[in-house]
Amino acid sequence: MTAITIEGVSRSFGDVRAVDAVTLAIRDGEFFTLLGPSGCGKTTLLRMVAGFCELDGGRILFAERRVDTVPPHRRNTGMVFQNYAVFPHLDVAGNVAYGLKARGLAQRDIAARVARALGLVQLDGYARRWPHQLSGGQLQRVAIARAVVIEPDVLLLDEPLSNLDAKLRVEMRGEIRRLQRALGITVIYVTHDQEEALAMSDRIAVMRAGRVEQVGAPRAIYEQPATTFVASFVGATNLLRGVVKSVGEILVGGTVVTARAATQPAGSKVALSLRPEALRLLASEPAPEGWAVLNGTLEEVEYLGAVTRFWVRLADGTALQLIALAPPAAGGAVTVAYDPARVVMLGDGA
Amino acid sequence: MAVAAAFLGLFFLYPVLKVLGASILDPTGGSFTLRNYASVLSSPFFLQGLVNSLGVATAATLFTILIGVPFAFCVARLPIAGKPVLLALAALPLVLPSFVSAYALVLMFGRAGVVTGALRAAGIPFESIYGMKGIVTVYALTLYPYVVLPTVAAFQSIDASVEEAAQNLGAPRARMLRTVTLPLVLPSILAGGLLVFIEALENFGVPFVLAEDQPILAVEAFKLFVGETADNPASAGVLGVLLIACTVAALVAQRALLARRRYATGARRSAPLLAVSPMLRRLGTAYCWAVVGAALVPFAAVVAISFLAFKGPVLTYDLSLDNFSQLFGRSYRPLANTLLLATLAAAGATLIGVPIGYVIVRHRSRLSAALDLIATAPFAVAGTVLGIGLVLAYSNGPLILTGTALIMIIAYMVRKLPFSVRASSAILHQIDVNLEEASINLGVAPMQTFLRITVPLMLGGIVGGSVLTFVTVASELSSTVVLYSGPWTTMTVAMFQALEGTSAGVAAAAATVLILFTILPVALVYRLLQRYELSML
Repeated sequence: MTAITIEGVSRSFGDVRAVDAVTLAIRDGEFFTLLGPSGCGKTTLLRMVAGFCELDGGRILFAERRVDTVPPHRRNTGMVFQNYAVFPHLDVAGNVAYGLKARGLAQRDIAARVARALGLVQLDGYARRWPHQLSGGQLQRVAIARAVVIEPDVLLLDEPLSNLDAKLRVEMRGEIRRLQRALGITVIYVTHDQEEALAMSDRIAVMRAGRVEQVGAPRAIYEQPATTFVASFVGATNLLRGVVKSVGEILVGGTVVTARAATQPAGSKVALSLRPEALRLLASEPAPEGWAVLNGTLEEVEYLGAVTRFWVRLADGTALQLIALAPPAAGGAVTVAYDPARVVMLGDGA
Repeated sequence: MAVAAAFLGLFFLYPVLKVLGASILDPTGGSFTLRNYASVLSSPFFLQGLVNSLGVATAATLFTILIGVPFAFCVARLPIAGKPVLLALAALPLVLPSFVSAYALVLMFGRAGVVTGALRAAGIPFESIYGMKGIVTVYALTLYPYVVLPTVAAFQSIDASVEEAAQNLGAPRARMLRTVTLPLVLPSILAGGLLVFIEALENFGVPFVLAEDQPILAVEAFKLFVGETADNPASAGVLGVLLIACTVAALVAQRALLARRRYATGARRSAPLLAVSPMLRRLGTAYCWAVVGAALVPFAAVVAISFLAFKGPVLTYDLSLDNFSQLFGRSYRPLANTLLLATLAAAGATLIGVPIGYVIVRHRSRLSAALDLIATAPFAVAGTVLGIGLVLAYSNGPLILTGTALIMIIAYMVRKLPFSVRASSAILHQIDVNLEEASINLGVAPMQTFLRITVPLMLGGIVGGSVLTFVTVASELSSTVVLYSGPWTTMTVAMFQALEGTSAGVAAAAATVLILFTILPVALVYRLLQRYELSML
């Protein structure tokens, strides 16, 4: 239950800068996610917090206490490993009690706290089971109980759900979130799954090539992506490049896109993101007040169950994807409308 | 770590350098000369020895591959009966002393052999088993597991989808086996074959029993060194260096092969057994049992013969314990020595080998890579050569060890170190490093974590590895014959002496005792070994 400060932290492996001058301020009790593709440095950063990876530069503080010089076994972090790392030669209770014994607690206290921790992860009655008798989801719960029972300053989770099947993954992410709220514990969560990150986090840091591209709440990350990478990595989007024509108007290929946020001087190169669900396919009704309209040809339709994805080709060849609830009537010439307020200008357009 | 490095430096590198030194220095030891090489290499006798050694090793490699690959294929891919037993029995010759098998061949097919006599009585002309053909036969029968075990593992590690892809692309089964399956196991076959080559090259006991007047390098080095007329460390050194050069070349080739072996591992789903006709299945079953039987019959024969009475050198068919009372009538000392020396050497090799294995696996660096190489290197040095080196190094000077039990234990530890290092590193590869990190993360310091997590998880493998070291030390002959002194006579030496004399019965009894002390410990820990026997290769 501690704020965590990461200041200018770096680490290179050979020529690769795995973590490159990262600075983050994680709040007390926050569910903070490091999101990025594999090799972006998110796991390295997590292991730096745990103490399993040395820093080339920078420092890490838990509240006011500097920890990057403290050996890993004295940092009081609780880590949940991707493959659980449940000790195969200890039973469930033995696993959960392991950290408490290391802290020299009295036998009676240990038993009580182990029981409480197993209750928290809904494993009452499993204390005497052996790891090889448990399913992947149950091993996951043991790993979480073992990490939280020591009352760590911070709970570190390294892609904990990646080995579970899709349904269990959704179930467990809700459970981890509830547990975190109930304990009020600070969490650093590493994942490459953007849906997981959006669903669970208070704030997300999107990482690429050892650097943080953007930090923000899930809605800010999704709706106001700062860079082309964030816009395309988190959710699907129409990524367009063009030149500012005049204030509020951008020339993309041969098409003029209206964007409220386009305030750069005319002639500036820009990149913009337009989410598929911000576009609307018009049948015969007029466009909503203030919306802009584009004409094109419906090229492809993907039925996705709850929604349908449409691919529209504009007259100048630009392809746009859009998502709508209802399946369409027919192909051919279509009109697409969008709200200029939802066109996001990306910082690295030049 | 420093202890392990110092140990290897003092008792492996230094003695080997001494052998090298003896080979390139003139008799006064003062100046460099190549005359020793010139004289050895210009001698038709030693040249014949080199040709014989390489020829025998090559033939043994070919035969073990010819026997082992079909065997491995049957066990891994055909629905044949009794597979676990078959594999256990197939691995057995690896721990049994091969010179006992050689001796059994002499008892059966030698000049006065049981079978030879029977054949002659039936009017079938039969020359004796001595010479190259006998040596190659024994190697084929005792070394084929080196090919079988890795090849079985390779067959089983081929993912089913790879074969399915071949069939899906239109390859019939025979074509699939030839173009996909076989190429995938080929590196393992070659790796096993090279192990056979090295073993055959440096083996002392088998050619000693069977070669008669044909020169074999490992034997001639020993004879030159402890020669009754005039010992000749310079020529012995040359032979030793030649042996080392051959094995190093083979080992380098093996490493190069293994380094590129990336594709035969990690099957999610092993390829299924092939559906074959009952005829073919019976044929496969018969073949496998025939191979295992042929390999083990010599050992069984020795045991049986040890319980029969000898009249002088002539075998009778009367049951008797005379051989054993003769063996132990002289003294129980050899048995006690063997048990004591093997126990101490196994403990020592484990104590040094496990930490080396740990460092190699968990702390990858240039230093640990060097340690890995040096710890594997004793494998390339024949026991006789190491023995000679130790004598050269520690007969005088500040540290005199020649004639002590300690020098024998040291030799055994050096010889078995590659196995204990490999065994422990193989287990460590199976222990997820995250387990250790989880323990540290929960507040247990690294050293305690090693004791509380790593050691308990390694324990099965450590015990299994120690037992294997124990049994192979108990039947170790090549360095023993160079290093032993009277009070420290071992069972192998007792058998060796009985062979040199004419006490065939005593030799058989000694062999039986050796077999007993090999099989019993291995059987006791077999469950542990099953998981790791492959890693011992």
